[in-house]
Formats: sequence, structure tokens, C-alpha cells
Amino acid sequence: MMRTAISILKKDLRMEFRSKESILAMWIFSLLIFVIFNFTFEVSRLVMLEIAPGLLWVAFVFSGMFGLNQSFALEKENGNLRAMALMPVDGGQIYVGKFFSVTIIMLMFEALIFPIFIIFYDLQLSLGMFRLIPVLLAGTIGFTSLGTILSAVAVHTRNQQILLSLLLWPLVSPIIIWSVTLTGMVLSGEVTAAFYPLLLRVGAFDVIFFTLSYMLFDFILED
Amino acid sequence: MRSKIDKILLIILLIAFSVSIYLIFQWVPQIKASNPAEQIAQRIFYFHVPSAWLGFLAFFIVFCGSVAYLATRKRKYELISVASAEIGVLFISLVLITGPIWAKPVWGIWWTWDVRLTSSLILWLIYVAFLMLRRYLPDGSKRANLSAVVGIIGFTDVPIVYYSIRWWETQHPKAVMASSDGSLAAPMFFAFMFSLATFTLLYVYLIRKRYQLLTLEDTLNKQFKEMEIL
Repeated sequence: MMRTAISILKKDLRMEFRSKESILAMWIFSLLIFVIFNFTFEVSRLVMLEIAPGLLWVAFVFSGMFGLNQSFALEKENGNLRAMALMPVDGGQIYVGKFFSVTIIMLMFEALIFPIFIIFYDLQLSLGMFRLIPVLLAGTIGFTSLGTILSAVAVHTRNQQILLSLLLWPLVSPIIIWSVTLTGMVLSGEVTAAFYPLLLRVGAFDVIFFTLSYMLFDFILED
Repeated sequence: MRSKIDKILLIILLIAFSVSIYLIFQWVPQIKASNPAEQIAQRIFYFHVPSAWLGFLAFFIVFCGSVAYLATRKRKYELISVASAEIGVLFISLVLITGPIWAKPVWGIWWTWDVRLTSSLILWLIYVAFLMLRRYLPDGSKRANLSAVVGIIGFTDVPIVYYSIRWWETQHPKAVMASSDGSLAAPMFFAFMFSLATFTLLYVYLIRKRYQLLTLEDTLNKQFKEMEIL
């Protein structure tokens, strides 16, 4: 039943592993954000600790746009998008395939940039840092579930890249706000009782965004 | 028939707005505030809150129009949601303008990143993006589909945006209508309700007008196309 989704996912990942285009661009771009940030806001280490979670998510969100833009822009070449629309399958399948490929690529990029982040901002590694894994997972899924459908919307326009940012950022702002709060709790080691309910809330909205996008995706492919 | 209703609406609106301006600036008693600037600034509330209400109503209609469009594929619903989105953006802009005008004398600052202010701004951004999306797309069923999808996702996001910023301390005045201690005096309440009704009527008038204009544009485009074929 999920065959179409799986083949799209396989195809996207194979393309990414051969070219490494998105991951490399995202990684370098994040590095640039860290460097520029360092020079534009020369802050003390204490202040740095306070703004580090925000900085991390700024890097994720800005770099994540590369992956999202790429995801459907690639399909536009050689009329692939039209071919996809003509496939006699449920449009939701295409969404699922695209969602997983974008999410996996983005999570891999996050795993690769995180060590650099730790080194640059001199954060202490501890066992509690493992709590960051569900946080990054939930935040990223929220970002990509909305991002995938809006990328498919924006790809039909002339100004795809700017429009995707304009559409996505205000809509995804709640997820980012919560993710920054959660990341801050983990990085500072002050995981309060509010941590898990908040994490659960992000997860719940991930489910809502994913389901809604899955249902609506058919309309986007239609001509 | 259509224009007759509009004419009557317009006349009612002219009268209603004159009455509400009289109510707001003459009839309603001065509030008791230590700061004289606040006493005058408070009257902006009668424009600020109805504008916000109108914005939400307009975005709700965008959502309804989008769902109806995807269900029926009737051009009518697409045009209604576009017209409503435009009006919504206009009135949320008014909210974002009148708010700081009040805030400066009362709070001493134009802007603060408080829940209501931030969520109104994000809301505004969502629907501006919706209108920009339509700008960037050529007319046709594709555009109708895409904007309907964004119209649905956008409105679903509204409560989430509000919820996400809620726990921050709020500086914004509480919803006065809801308080049980009767903090809104009877004349104020009446003036407010009158203003609210007037604004709602204004919405009805504006959306009718905008919808008619969009239909006219459609007819004109169709005629141009026919001429080109000849």
C-alpha cells in the first residue's frame, strides 16, 4: 500500500547520497550562520549559553529551507512534477515519501552540525543531552511536515524560494518557539516538570500538521 | 436588485458610523485614569477591538470558502475567500496600527512581544503570504486549489499560534466583556456593541463589493479572451 511512498523515499535518498547536494549546502550554511553570528553579536559566554538554543534553531530553520526547496524543485525538471500528478496513486503517498526523505536528510544534517555547535560554543556534554534527541525529532518533524506541503505549493510559483519562507515561517513559528524552549531546558540542564508535557504538545501538533497535509496533498497535484 | 441592497447598506452604514462616532466621542463617559492621555486614548478601544473581531471573522470566512471550494470547485467560493482574506488583512493592519497608538501613551512603548501583539502580527503575516501566493500564480484552477489549501492550513494554525505564546506574561488588557465584576460600564458596553455591529455590517458591505468587483474582472477577462480568438 505504501509502495509509492517507499520508492519516492528511496529515489530521493539515493540522489542525495550520490550528490550530497542538500546536506553539504545545509551544513556549510549553518557553519556560516555560526560564524556571522559570532562577529555580529560579540557576547560573553554566559549570554551565549542563554541564546544558544535559539541560534541552533535559527541555523536549522534557515538551512532546512535548502532541503525543502530542493525537494520539489528537483521534480520540476523534465516535467517530473506533472508525471507525478498523473500517477494513478493517492497523492498522500507522494506526500509521505517526500516528507520522509526531507526529514531524514534534515535529521542527518542536524546530527552533523551538532558537534560543531558544541565545539564552537563550548557546551558541556552530559548524559542529559540525550533528551535533545526527542526534542530535535519533534521540532524537525513539525517543520518538515508543514514544509513539505508548502514546498509543493511554492514550487508552482516564479519566486519559489522566497515564497516558501513567507508561507512556512509564520505557520511553523509555534513549533519553533516550543522547540527553542525545550532545547534551552536540555542545554542548561534545567529540565523541569514542564518538559514532557511540552514535548508531548509538539508531538501532538506534528500529528495534526502531518494528517492535515496528507489529506490536502491530493489537491495540490491536481491541475 | 443587487445594487439596491448595496445602496441601502451604504446608507445604513453612513448613519451607523455617524452614530457610533457620536457615541464614542461624546456620549460615553470619561474613564477614570490617573494619566490624562490614557482617558482619551482609551476611546480607540471602540475601533481596535471591532477591527480585531472583523479580522478573525474574515479569516474564518476564508477557511469556510476554501473548504467549500475544494468540495464543490465553484469559482464563487474561491472569490469569496480571496475577498475575505483581503478585508481580513486590512483590518488586522488597522489593529496593528491602532494598538501602538494606544500603547504609547499608556504603556510608554509602541510595541512589546506580548501574546496578543505577537499572535496578531503572525496572523497578519500568514494572510499576507496567502495573498502574495495568489499574486505569484497565474489565474486558473491550480491557483484556486493551492490557495484553498493554504487557506485551510492557515486557519488551523491560528489557535496554535495563540496557544504557543500564551504562557508568557501578558501586558495586554484582559477581555473586558468576560470579567464578572462589571468593569465595563453600561454606556461603554452599549457603545462598544454598537461599534461592533457597525463594523460587522461594514464587513458585509465590503465583501459584497469586493466580490462583485472580482466577478466583473472575470467577465472582462473572458470577453478579452473571446476578442483575442476573433
